[in-house]
Order: sequence, then C-alpha cells, then structure tokens
Amino acid sequence: MKKSDLSEFGVEEENFKLKIRRDTGKEAQPHIVNYAPAQTSTPATQSEPISQAAPAAQAASIPQAESDSGVYITSPMVGTFYTSSSPENPAYVKVGDTVSADSVVCIIEAMKIMNEIQAEQSGDIAELLVENGQPVEYGQRLFRLS
Amino acid sequence: MQKVLIANRGEIALRIVRACRELGIKTLAVYSEADVESLHVQLADEAICIGGPQSFESYLRADRIISAAEIADVDAIHPGYGFLAENADFAEQCESCNIKFIGPSANAIRKMGDKAVAKDTVQKVGVPVCGGSDGVIESEDRATKIASSVGYPVMIKAVAGGGGKGMRIAHNEISLRKEFHVARNEAEKAFGNGDVFIEKFIENPRHVEFQILADQHGNVIHLGERDCSIQRRHQKLIEEAPSPFIDPQLRARMGEAAVNAARAADYEGAGTIEFLVNDQREFFFLEMNTRIQVEHPVTEEVTGVDLIKQQILIASGEPIAFTQNDVQFNYHAIECRINAEDPSRNFIPSPGCIDLYYAPGGHGVRLDSHAYGGYIIPPYYDSMIGKLITYGRTRDVAIQRMYRALSEYIIRGVKTTIPLQKAIISDPKFQAGKATTAFMEDFLERKPKFD
Repeated sequence: MKKSDLSEFGVEEENFKLKIRRDTGKEAQPHIVNYAPAQTSTPATQSEPISQAAPAAQAASIPQAESDSGVYITSPMVGTFYTSSSPENPAYVKVGDTVSADSVVCIIEAMKIMNEIQAEQSGDIAELLVENGQPVEYGQRLFRLS
Repeated sequence: MQKVLIANRGEIALRIVRACRELGIKTLAVYSEADVESLHVQLADEAICIGGPQSFESYLRADRIISAAEIADVDAIHPGYGFLAENADFAEQCESCNIKFIGPSANAIRKMGDKAVAKDTVQKVGVPVCGGSDGVIESEDRATKIASSVGYPVMIKAVAGGGGKGMRIAHNEISLRKEFHVARNEAEKAFGNGDVFIEKFIENPRHVEFQILADQHGNVIHLGERDCSIQRRHQKLIEEAPSPFIDPQLRARMGEAAVNAARAADYEGAGTIEFLVNDQREFFFLEMNTRIQVEHPVTEEVTGVDLIKQQILIASGEPIAFTQNDVQFNYHAIECRINAEDPSRNFIPSPGCIDLYYAPGGHGVRLDSHAYGGYIIPPYYDSMIGKLITYGRTRDVAIQRMYRALSEYIIRGVKTTIPLQKAIISDPKFQAGKATTAFMEDFLERKPKFD
C-alpha cells in the first residue's frame, strides 16, 4: 500500500471481506479543503480521495454541516471579522453578555469598509466561534447563543 | 498569476478549474448555498460561500465576490459566461481593486455591449453590417423613413438587448408604427433602456460566429467559425465547426472582418463576432460577445487550441504563441447542449436528482459536465447538465459519433433534451448541411417522434 497513494483499501466479495488501512502517522486530513459534504455518491473516481494541495490555512471555512440544535449568529457577508471597532477599543461583546436584536456584536470589514454587524436575535453569548482578524464567508457561524 | 477566483458555477466553472490546474494556478471557487455539493467547489483548491441560492444573492453580488477575492488574495477573476461576465462595472471594480479581470477592458465591454455603438464601431473599419439606422431612433416617423429606405421586412432592436432578446419584426409600415412602441416599452422593462434601432431583417439566415483571440501586444487572430443555426427561440441547441456552408474563401474574408472588428473594439482576450449569412453568401455583423462562449469546445477540438488557457495566458501578459498561419482546421466537431428540460412538454425545466448517470466516451468524444450520479440539479439557475462534443475527420464521422454518444448517455431522474438532439442530427436536412436559423421551428412543426 505504501507504494501507492492509498491510505485505505477495501474489498468485499461473497464470502470474503478485507479492509486495510495504512497509518500515515498524521491525523486524517480532510481531502476536500475546508469542507466535507455529505457524499450522496461520487463520480467516476469512486472511493479514491480527490488529491488536493495542502488546505490553505486561513481561507474561510465553509458553513458547518453538522446538524445540531444550537442558535447562531451567522455572517451576512464576506469579509474579515473583528471583535471591536479598532485595536484600542474593547470587544463589542464577550461570553456571558446578553444581546438584543439591534446590539452590535462585531465588525466585518469588506473592501476597506467596516460594517457593524447586529445580532438580529436576542440571547446570551455562549461562545465566540471565530478569531479576531479571521476571513469569514457568507453564512459562517460567528457566535453561539444560549 | 498564482491564484484565480472563478466567479461562476456549473460546467464552465469546472472547465476553468481544469485549465488552471494544467497551468499550475490555484483556484478559488465562490458559490451559493445551493451549490455546496457542486463538483467544481469540491475540486477547487479553496472555496468561499458568497450567499443564498438566488443569483442576485450570490453570483451577481459583485461586492461579495470582490471581498472574497481580497480575503483570499487572488490575482485574477475569471467571470465565465453569463452572470457578471459582460458587466462593465464589475470589470471596472476589479481594475480599481488591482485584481485582473480575465477578459477585455470595461471600455471594450461597454462599447460592444451597446448594439448601436458596436455596429457603428465595426462599420467604420469596413465590416459589413445590416442596412438600417445610424443609431438610436427617437420617433415613429423616423423609423418609417429608415424602414422604407432599407426595405421591409425590418427588425426593431433594443440597443441594450442581445442574445436574442429585445427584438421585434415589422413587415410593413402599419405594423412598424405599432411594433416601434411595443419594442421600446419591452426594452425599457427588460433592460432599463428603451432605446431602439432598426435593421434590415434577413430571412432564414445562418448564424455563423468567429472566434478571436487578442493579446496585450497587439496580436489579433481568428480561430475559424462556428455554425449555430440550430436554435429554438434564439437559444442554441447544437453547434458545429466548421460551418458546412462556409468555403475557405468566405472564411478568409469573414475571418479578416472579425479580426478588424476586434481591433476596432480595442479588445483583449477571447471574443466572438457573430454574423448572419444569407443564401447569397453575403455576411452581416450581428453583435460581438465580449466573453468566452458556451460552445467554445467545438473550436478547441477543430483547432487544438485550449481557449480557456489562452484567456489566462493573455491576461497574464503573455503574447499569443502562434500566428494566424499556424491555425489549422483539422477536424469537424459538433456540440449538443444537454439541458434538463422536457422537449415533449414545451421544454419545461426538469430540475431534480440524477439517480443514475453514465457518461459516454471513446474515440472522438468529449463531455464538459459538472453532473454526477446523485447530483441534484438546483432550480435556481440555467438547466444545463453539460455539453457533449464529438469530433472526427469528417462531418459525417462527427455526426455518427454524436448519435452513438447520445445513445450511450444515461441521465436518469430528470428529463433531458437528448431524445430531441438525436432526432435533429438524424434529420436529412441537418445531415445535408442545409439547416438555417429557420430549421428548428420547421422541425418542431413537423412534430417529429422522439421518445
């Protein structure tokens, strides 16, 4: 298996089933950069992962596909996320704060314009899901509310 | 050029990913929430979601696309076709943000985007145009004056129209007086610009378009023609290259006209000059498309030139690496646009899940498609599943091969235009190379049987 690019190999016949996994020594990387869609079925290249360049570190991650029942503030635009209006100023919100629909929770900067992002729903900030200065995309989860 | 943002979706986005791969350029796919499972999104090096399913919420959001370009630090944006590909404002925004727009300048897009200005521009360099008005027509009376001097029937066209939209025919003065106002109202509603002009209407022409390439160093060449006469309501169904109607002498004259038109437009990149050709082999400028076209593969298979790569190389500042004399037309190619539509029910769109998919293959077969087994065709965009192209040494071989390939192609779960296209290429008139733009209407009236 080492000679080939495969890290996992399976064969199933009537009376026989074989599965080999090669331990590559590193944590299984998602082969599809930043994103693992629920594969309903794949095209001609069956179980073979589509080979990728190393996932770009800070490229915005795709909206999470896990189905959970949390309440989230998501990004309404594409840009760079900032917790405060400038490096000197304190963050708009922190964990534990209560917000209402028109509370400003963060800045998303796009094309040199700083956009104040409102919560659009009320609740308590339970978790901050992105980092200051991180690029974010449309629909990306920014805060979890409780 | 290290990284390109693909501002499009579906089969053309996949096509661009492939070309970038071969050039060693990284790709960034921007996509809507409806295209999360799209093939090109999975194959691109990076992907950024730019909005909701509707086009105006995503693929038409220039601000979000440019934002994505900035945060991912791309060098260039490839707009594909449709969406923002011929949006001069978008090209200008890219220019001002220091991102290379893979295509012509905003000025060239504007010039050729106004049909009256385009006609005027090419006429000045000797390209034949349809007789008609010199520019926008303001009044009904002026319209009738022009119409009687060029002779009926005439076509009233919106300056902001294109792609077959915003056109009305008038066969005599009475209908002209009425249609003039109808056309202006329709144009105002559809394009936000009610200006119209008038052209002599050419009966049953062939639609023959020329592919050109222009680099940043003043080189402009043509790569021959495509015959796109098989159209239903101005939407192309089947295209082929070379045209069965064009001989080498006519090709040389039309090619020269196409090159002159591109120069007059101060063009850069890949573009297409559309002509109408009548039975007497006279040709007339119709419009210029300042983008890569859907049917570009037939030119690629006939000449061996990769047009998407050429677009990227030209945008990078490379001169075109070959001359007009190097361009050869070695094969005959045909393309069928496979759409998720039901031809037996007036082409009603048929989105949904493709539960079984088998692609044709073999010698002389090319398939440009983003579809796969299990793929769900979203209802928000065009209905194209893919483009099936066949090519061979002769037109007959290309036709036989297309019939064979269409017969092998399995797309289960949605309705497709495959049965219709099989019937068209079996038609004696098509096979004899005698189809004009009147073909489809006549063909459908004969109520051909197809399953």
